[in-house]
Amino acid sequence: MANKVVIYTTPECVYCKITKEFFKKNNVVYEEKDVSVDDKARNEMVDKSGQLGVPVIDIGGKIIVGFDKEILLKFIDMK
Amino acid sequence: MYDVIIIGGGPAGAAASVYTGRKKIKTLLLTDSFGGQSIVSDNIENWIGIKKISGFELAKMLEDHVRACEEVEIKMPEKVDKVIEAKNGFRVETNKNTYQAKTLIVASGGRRRRLNVPGEEKFNGKGVSYCSTCDAPLFKDKEVAVIGGGNAGLEAAIDLIHYASKIYIINHGSELGGDPSTQEEIRKSPKVVVINNAETQEILGDRFVTAIKYLDKQSNQVKELSVGGIFVEIGSIPNSEFMKGLVEMNKAGEIIVDHRTLATSKPGIFAAGDVTDEIYKQNNISAGDAIAAALSAYNYLLNIKKQSPAYENKNSN
Repeated sequence: MANKVVIYTTPECVYCKITKEFFKKNNVVYEEKDVSVDDKARNEMVDKSGQLGVPVIDIGGKIIVGFDKEILLKFIDMK
Repeated sequence: MYDVIIIGGGPAGAAASVYTGRKKIKTLLLTDSFGGQSIVSDNIENWIGIKKISGFELAKMLEDHVRACEEVEIKMPEKVDKVIEAKNGFRVETNKNTYQAKTLIVASGGRRRRLNVPGEEKFNGKGVSYCSTCDAPLFKDKEVAVIGGGNAGLEAAIDLIHYASKIYIINHGSELGGDPSTQEEIRKSPKVVVINNAETQEILGDRFVTAIKYLDKQSNQVKELSVGGIFVEIGSIPNSEFMKGLVEMNKAGEIIVDHRTLATSKPGIFAAGDVTDEIYKQNNISAGDAIAAALSAYNYLLNIKKQSPAYENKNSN
């Protein structure tokens, strides 16, 4: 089974948009959590990543901060 | 061997590529990404011909236009490390490969200036942010500081007004810069406190940022503010390091160009956009200058062709 992919975003974050577009292009199913309105998700993201910045991407427990095409490709290939 | 290598995928690099592509000269575009620094803008309202566009959409438009040019090969993401003068042209070394071309157009733009104070690197992403539009929602009900009293700083403060409980603007100068209309918006908010004549000295924290230390230049005292977030908005610097020693630069590290031809001090190398000493760092100007650079590079290629022995022979027959 494919790893669950969660992306934590804010509405105006360009790298969040780029990451989502990248997922769509590569047929990756993902769940999006908008931390600007979802306080629970915001705390969850900060706990998981130790980061105060978006996007944070959780691929089956692996935490990736920011958009890095090559790192994402690596994790997606592993599925 | 390429006719021309273009470095950078912002408005300058894209415009240069479209022009060299249409001139049918063999072009290689090396870039990290498309769109340039404006990619993070949610609204661009001065790209001529379009009333309103996001930086993200502009980036896609630029990329689509370049990809429509058959003569242009694109290598992305690729970062240029070094440029060396070589026989009949230049050698460009990237993090992945080495390429050669007869002429170069440097359109590598700029990047955000950092504070270079203790704690900045350690807390990057842990309270220190360079993108207020992205990260402002994470600082809900927190006290934050914006470093920089120019337009970018004021706009960051406006982004934060919706979320943060208090916003200190740490301003180096004795009064705020930026547009009067933006200043007015700032003054209307009871959440914003402007601190002038302040020089940031250190960012403190544990797991995340907890405080900032600054020098009050008037009293010459070091003061500390408790904040959970710090947004750095102190301008940009040119991405010109890989050209050091090869072309002339000014003190700010900007490549000095002849503003008629966009030629640098090294024959065969042209430059355009925010990496140059152009006064106005604007998308439209970067694109226009890059077009001039592309046409100058094209003329340069014609001239070296004319000077080559093969061309002489062909024309004397």
